[in-house]
Amino acid sequence: MTLWLLRLAFLAGLFFFLFAVARILLRDLHAAAREPGAELGRLVVVESPGEDAPAAGSVFPLDAVSTMGRGVNNTIVLDDAFASADHAALSYRGREWFLEDLGSTNGTYLNSQRIGGPVRVGFGDEVTVGRVRLRLERARR
Amino acid sequence: MTADATSVRRWPVRPRPRPRELALLAVVAPTLLLGFATLRTQQLAAAGTDRLTLGDPIVPALYLGLLFAAHAILTLAGRQTDQVLLPAVGLLGGLGLLLMERLPPSLVVQRFGPLELGLGSLQLLWLGLALAIIAAFGVLVRSDTWLRLYKYSWAAAGIALLLAVFVLGHEVNGARLTLCLGPVCGQPSELLKVILVVFLAGYLSENRALLASRRSRLGPLGLPPLQHLLPMLATWAIALAIVIVQRDLGAALLFFAIFLALLYVATARWSDVALGLILFVAGSAALYLLLPHVRTRIDIWLDPWAQAQGAGYQTVRALYAFGRGGILGTGLGAGLPQVGDVPAIPAVHTDFAFTALAEETGYLGSLAILATYAVLVERGLRIAARSADDFRALLAAGLTLVIGIQAVIIVGGNARLIPLTGITAPFLSYGGSSLLANAVAVGLLLALSDRGVALPPPPRRPAAERLVAGLRAAGDRVERAIT
Repeated sequence: MTLWLLRLAFLAGLFFFLFAVARILLRDLHAAAREPGAELGRLVVVESPGEDAPAAGSVFPLDAVSTMGRGVNNTIVLDDAFASADHAALSYRGREWFLEDLGSTNGTYLNSQRIGGPVRVGFGDEVTVGRVRLRLERARR
Repeated sequence: MTADATSVRRWPVRPRPRPRELALLAVVAPTLLLGFATLRTQQLAAAGTDRLTLGDPIVPALYLGLLFAAHAILTLAGRQTDQVLLPAVGLLGGLGLLLMERLPPSLVVQRFGPLELGLGSLQLLWLGLALAIIAAFGVLVRSDTWLRLYKYSWAAAGIALLLAVFVLGHEVNGARLTLCLGPVCGQPSELLKVILVVFLAGYLSENRALLASRRSRLGPLGLPPLQHLLPMLATWAIALAIVIVQRDLGAALLFFAIFLALLYVATARWSDVALGLILFVAGSAALYLLLPHVRTRIDIWLDPWAQAQGAGYQTVRALYAFGRGGILGTGLGAGLPQVGDVPAIPAVHTDFAFTALAEETGYLGSLAILATYAVLVERGLRIAARSADDFRALLAAGLTLVIGIQAVIIVGGNARLIPLTGITAPFLSYGGSSLLANAVAVGLLLALSDRGVALPPPPRRPAAERLVAGLRAAGDRVERAIT
């Protein structure tokens, strides 16, 4: 009887150890997910009209939701006369990027096609806002 | 990086508490004590006395003392290294020690002068040395320059070791693995796997861009440039040579698997892995046709019952042992790894350590052992993913894979999932060389997990280039002074 209990206690100890380890591993995973500076993707300016708009080659790291437009409250400020104040938004849902027009005057283009509703964007696709052309790229790590 | 980390360390360093490690060790210690209590009580019950006892508490006390001493040393060193590796290794080592204490001590006897040590005491000795190595690496290794810069020297040393075994080795159980220096015998191929990882990490991190480029094609497979294909062929040839000359199937399989895995980690190309697998299948088929001992292994794997009293005896016994274990196991000390003084499964303390533990702790116990290996692998790969540069990432991944792949090969072999190859279960099996080599791997992982480790200085430019750069800088200074 005691022997039986000892054996069960021993096995329980093994699994309690694994339980304790699993808690630590999970906590580390959560901590790693919260680590700052983990960009999800980046927008690179391919073509720009110059003036006050960001120059070609500029890079914008992206959050889960980034807005673009002429207004200063946007994540990415594109100071171009052909862009609306709140022009378009890029968001990361599930494992994919989506582009959405926010009711702009001149429209938002994905690979030279004007978009209606939200559309899926892949890495390497080009987004045009006003006269600024931007390319979505994979995050550098 | 703070200036503190790069400047020379001054003693005394400030101790840094390791609460997670301590908490985990606080679970490991009573669990192992319970295991020892089960074992001793069972042994007494077999003798007819029904009494709760810990028996002779010296062995577990010594082992746990060593474990906590390693923890204390790491705490005093004050580095921010991983806190899960030591408890996980401690648990596996403790389970191995339990098994060695349970088997008849006469299985392995070694004499050190007047001192005669049996199986359990020897394993305790080796475990002590292994923990010392882990603690020493965790405290002392603060730079990887000595590994990074001398990769070809390490490779040469590894091959020299291999050749020494080819020429001077002793044959044990039909495999030529053991090299004796005076009274101490060891199996250099155990250390070789760590050296191989160091070399591969150095080589692949330097050439990964070239290896990933594609210039030639072989049917649907893109090939890396030919001069970079040579290392793959060379590794393959070495693996074949190990099988043919040393008859060490396990080591050959391990080497080739590590190589392919690291190649994939470095280049992220499946076509290289596919090519390696084709080479593997071709090599295996050739060896199956040519070498009788390879053929025996495969035949046993396919049908051990065809020769249950002959070549398949070991495997058949192991399968029965798994079956006897059931879900909760027969209990430590109550299994049948031995009949009288003869082990029921030949080589139960080395190749079949996992089987014996699976019998006595059952499905649940073996699940816990496998999960502990998985924890080691998770921690190692996490260290690799977080490391600052390619060399360290590849080194950490490779060291992790050494432990993980060994576990997969031997557990798979024990359970007749793959053909049995003689290899040790890391930290469970008896064996000094294996314990020490795996301890070196874990110790290096521990050192690599410290993010404060300084990166080595960039490689020195050739003298002429430095001269030109110096002159240019001087010219700039003169120009600035004039304008």
